Amino acid sequence: MTEAVAKRRFFLWRHLNKLRWVSLTTIFVMLIALPYIHVYQTFVAAHAYDFLAPSEKQLYDVVEFFTAPLSNDPAEDLDAIKGTIWAGTFFGFKLSDPLAALGQISASKGVYLPLLISALVPIGLTLVFGRFFCGWICPATLLYELNTNFAAILNRLGFPMRRRHFDRRLKYLVLAIGVVLAAMTGSALMAAVYPPAIIGREIYYAIALGGFGAGAVFFVFTLLFDLLVARRGFCRYICPGGALYSLLGRYRLVRIQRVVEDCNDCAKCNAVCEFGLDPLRDGFGQECNNCTACIAVCPTDALTFRMRLQDQPDQGPGHLGRHYRKCSATREAA
Amino acid sequence: MKRRNFLLALQAGAVALALPKFAHAARRRFSLRYLRPPGSLPEDEFLSACIRCGQCSEVCPNRCIEYFGFENGLASVDTPYIIPREKGCILCMKCGDVCPSGAIRPIERELEPILEGVKMGRAVVDETLCLSFQGKSCGVCYRACPLPDIAITVGMMEQPHVTDQCVGCGLCERSCIQMPQAIRVIPNHD
Repeated sequence: MTEAVAKRRFFLWRHLNKLRWVSLTTIFVMLIALPYIHVYQTFVAAHAYDFLAPSEKQLYDVVEFFTAPLSNDPAEDLDAIKGTIWAGTFFGFKLSDPLAALGQISASKGVYLPLLISALVPIGLTLVFGRFFCGWICPATLLYELNTNFAAILNRLGFPMRRRHFDRRLKYLVLAIGVVLAAMTGSALMAAVYPPAIIGREIYYAIALGGFGAGAVFFVFTLLFDLLVARRGFCRYICPGGALYSLLGRYRLVRIQRVVEDCNDCAKCNAVCEFGLDPLRDGFGQECNNCTACIAVCPTDALTFRMRLQDQPDQGPGHLGRHYRKCSATREAA
Repeated sequence: MKRRNFLLALQAGAVALALPKFAHAARRRFSLRYLRPPGSLPEDEFLSACIRCGQCSEVCPNRCIEYFGFENGLASVDTPYIIPREKGCILCMKCGDVCPSGAIRPIERELEPILEGVKMGRAVVDETLCLSFQGKSCGVCYRACPLPDIAITVGMMEQPHVTDQCVGCGLCERSCIQMPQAIRVIPNHD
C-alpha cells in the first residue's frame, strides 16, 4: 500500500532541488556576464578595437563570440537585458524587488506608479508561491548555501561551528526599522543591507568600475555571521527582504505538506532545512521558501506540494515510524 | 527598566535624532563638485526616489556615470554621479529610459525636450584662465559642445560665452585643454 501511495507523488518534485541549483547558478552567472557585456558594448560604441589593450581585446573577442548569434547591432541589441535581481530590465519590461518599491514609498512618502507596477509581478508570484525568491532566485542564497556546506565540512574536520538560535521575528523588526529610517532620512537605506541588491551591485562595481565597494565588506560579514554564529543566520533573522516576502507569502497557495501516512519520523527534513523550520511536525509557516530541499532528502516521499491556503496542524508521528507503531500496538491492546 | 537598558535606549534615541542630519552632512561640502545624470530630480527628491539599482551606469555608452561610496554622506551611498572633468555626459538619454525608480526621468532625445528637462548645471568660463581671452584662439569647448550656438556662442578670437540654455553636460569641461580647466560646470542640485 505504501508503494502505491509513493507512486502517486509527481516524480518531478524530488528533482526540483536540482532545478533550483540550476536556477541559482544561472542567475549568478548572468550577474557576472552582464557587466562584461556592458564593457564590451562600450568598446563597440567607441569603435576603437585597434586602441584596446591586449587584455581588453581578449575580453572583446570572447564576449563577441558569445553574443554574436544574438545580435546584429551589439551597441543597441545588448541593452535588452540590464540590471540586477534588485531591479532589472528584460526586453523593455521592467522588474523590481518589492522591497525597492516599499523603500521608495517610505523614503519619498509618495508613489511612483511605474516602479510599483514593475514590482507587481514578483508580488503576485510571492502571493502564490510564498517566499520562493529566497530559495530560487536570490544570488546571495547560492553563496549562503555553499557557506552552509563549508560549515559542515569544517564541522567534520573538527572545527565546530556555533549554531545559535534567535527569535525569527527579529527580521520583521529590521524591516520596520528600515522603513522608519528611510522615512526619516529620505533615502532608501535598506538597499545597503539587502544581500541580493548588494551582490548585483558589487559584482558590477568590481568588473566594470574597478573595485568592490563598502557593500562587499558588509556581505563578507554576513557570511562570517552565518559561519560562526548562526547557520543561515542572516536570512533567518535579519534580512528585511526576506521579512517582506514572508509577510506577502503568508497565505500562499502552493505549499509543501507532510503526508503523515508515509512519514517515518527520520527528521532528515528538519536537519536539511536551511531556514530551521520544522517539517517533521508540520511547522512550515510563512517562512518556508518552497526550496524543496526537504522533498529531495525525504527517503519515503512523504513530503509533497499541495494547493492549500493554510498549513496542516501537527499530524503527530509518521505512520511508518517506530513511535506510531508503538502507539497503535497499545491502542489495539486496549 | 534597568539603568543599563535606559542608557541604551537613550543612545539609540540620540542616534535616531542625529541620523537625518548626519545623512545629509554632504550638503555643506562644496568642494565635491558632481553632477547627477541628465533628467534627475532635485537633490532631495532624487535621494528619496533612487533605489540604487545601478542600471543607469550599466546602459551608459560613455561610461561616465559612477557611484558614491561614503564620501558624500550616508544618504547618497551607491547613488550615481558624473564628474565632468573626468567624463562628460553625451546626452544619449538612455539612463532616463532605463531608470525604474523615476529618480532620472525619461526624456526624449530631441532638442526641445532636452533643453526643457535637463538641468544638470551650467558652465562658467574663467576668463583669467581661458586661452581665447588671453589672445590665443582656442575654441575647443565650443567644438565639444553638443548644443553649439545654443548653449555656447563664440565671439572674437573664439571667446566662449555660455548662454542660459546650457544643460550642464560637462563635455566642454572635459575637453578644455587648460590645466586647471578654464570652463567648469556649476552643478544645479535644486
